[in-house]
Amino acid sequence: MRSTIVVRRSLYYAALVLIALIFITPYLFAVMAAFKPLSEINSDRAWNLPTHFTFDNFKSIFQQYDFGTYLLNTAAITVILTAGQVSFSLMGAYAFARIRFPGRDALFWGFLMMLMVPNVVTMIPLYVMMSKAGLTNTYWALFLPYVFGTPYTIFLMRQYLLSIPGETIEAARLDGCSELTILRKIIVPMSRPIIITATIIGVIFSWNNFLWPLIATDSNKQQVLTVGIANFNSNFVSQWNLVLAGSLVALIPMVIMFVLFQKHIVNSVNLAGASR
Amino acid sequence: MTTVAAQSAEVAQIDDARAGAGGSPRRARMTALGLLAPSLFGVTIFLAIPVVLVIIFSFLRWNLLTSPQWVGFGNYVDIFRHEGAGHALLVTIYYVVINIPVQTVLALGMAMLMNRRGRFTAVVRVLCVLPYLATPVAMAVVWQWVFDPQTGVVNTLLHQVGITGPDWLSSSSWALPVVVFANIWQYVGYNMLFFLAGLQAIPPQVYEASSIDGATTRAQFLHITLPLLRPTMLFVLVTGFIGSFQVFDSVYVMTQGGPGDATTVMNQLIYQNGFQGFRIGAASALSVILFLVILLVTVSQFSYFRNRTTYEMV
Repeated sequence: MRSTIVVRRSLYYAALVLIALIFITPYLFAVMAAFKPLSEINSDRAWNLPTHFTFDNFKSIFQQYDFGTYLLNTAAITVILTAGQVSFSLMGAYAFARIRFPGRDALFWGFLMMLMVPNVVTMIPLYVMMSKAGLTNTYWALFLPYVFGTPYTIFLMRQYLLSIPGETIEAARLDGCSELTILRKIIVPMSRPIIITATIIGVIFSWNNFLWPLIATDSNKQQVLTVGIANFNSNFVSQWNLVLAGSLVALIPMVIMFVLFQKHIVNSVNLAGASR
Repeated sequence: MTTVAAQSAEVAQIDDARAGAGGSPRRARMTALGLLAPSLFGVTIFLAIPVVLVIIFSFLRWNLLTSPQWVGFGNYVDIFRHEGAGHALLVTIYYVVINIPVQTVLALGMAMLMNRRGRFTAVVRVLCVLPYLATPVAMAVVWQWVFDPQTGVVNTLLHQVGITGPDWLSSSSWALPVVVFANIWQYVGYNMLFFLAGLQAIPPQVYEASSIDGATTRAQFLHITLPLLRPTMLFVLVTGFIGSFQVFDSVYVMTQGGPGDATTVMNQLIYQNGFQGFRIGAASALSVILFLVILLVTVSQFSYFRNRTTYEMV
């Protein structure tokens, strides 16, 4: 009897180790390869530690190629886009959840309808609009379509704001607080979990966004990391030392964010799921 | 969706800005519209208007340089006759049909396996979510290397056990499964989280009572776990289908739609028509078709689950 329990436990842990390995080895292999010269990547096993440890790959992508610019562009766009998306969505969500005004429900249904529109459907018209407005190949093109808040974030935040007890808000209104003061002094502090969730969603979206930046920019100056990596990858086919180092420039910051905020990230996924 | 309507009706009764000091309905409306102005502007300009435009564009022959020409349903005929829209639809459906079932079964299996206490289990659970943040474009480069026929990890491992691995991304039969694998790796842990939350919402008493009645583990899974997970299942499937139909990043980086057109999914074809050939009309017609397919699949899932969700537990 005892031995079957031991066998079952070991099988369970073996399964867990296998699952963990599947999810981290791609990162580990890529990190190790990025510190190897190309000859070693091609001749040695991926799971061996570098024998000729080198920083040359990273030096090369930052000094000879434009990864410094790409990284800065991605970081700047991510900050602007997320800050705008979170604040404008919170404002809209507050109006939908907590202010009663004629036409509110109709307007909200309009937003919900827009939730059904897949991203790709808007790509062609967005490109045409941006190019007619002379905004392609500018930073504006990269964040304008997403900076004003998305129906999804507004929907998420509205669901959360509905759960805040009404008495607090009523009391503040009776004390003569303006809606803006209520929003700033009461709603923002009470909505921290959903603000963090929306921030995480915004950062992941913006950092990883590819199709729109690919369409909207074609010069190196405005290009973001994802587009830079894709172009670099097709220009330097099989130069694994360089393209893997380039990919890590995008992957590593997200791993760091994950390690720092993993609890919030897991919670945010649950919060997003629960509101459906 | 019905819950949303019910909630907003409920809320309309509870809160009332007009109760505020000096607040008239008109003032409440002004404040609300002021707060809504940025998102209303954004959603109108960058979502609603583009949806109308894409439909109009789909009836035009236009390369952005010359003036547009009205061609009626010409583009819709053209994309199926000359641009391979039918093939791209089939490739996309093939992708979705392997991606969704494998991903959903794995996510549910992992959730059931790891739905227990223990520090190590908790660490592995969290690790599964890490790929959700991984930049798909950057990961696609990593997978390209891992599946490289000569120097890649996969074929090196296969070689050690005496198997000659296929050419993966340059093989017309293996390229799409590799793309599917990359996407499952990325999102399976994310979906597992939803199933975990769903499993934890099922009261343990239900299982206890059924064990006393002599239910087997299999019966419990079929008659308790699965039915009670229906709301979670709906969410995971709907979001999964919508995302899968729009697969692009990994295809663009790993195969560019090739070899030949073996991995040319709808989104890849839209990109090629719109931004490599500047056939705005054809690309718009393809977008409209993809939109309709996604809409049809989403609506049918909602109605399927509505008819079957008899338990309102969560």
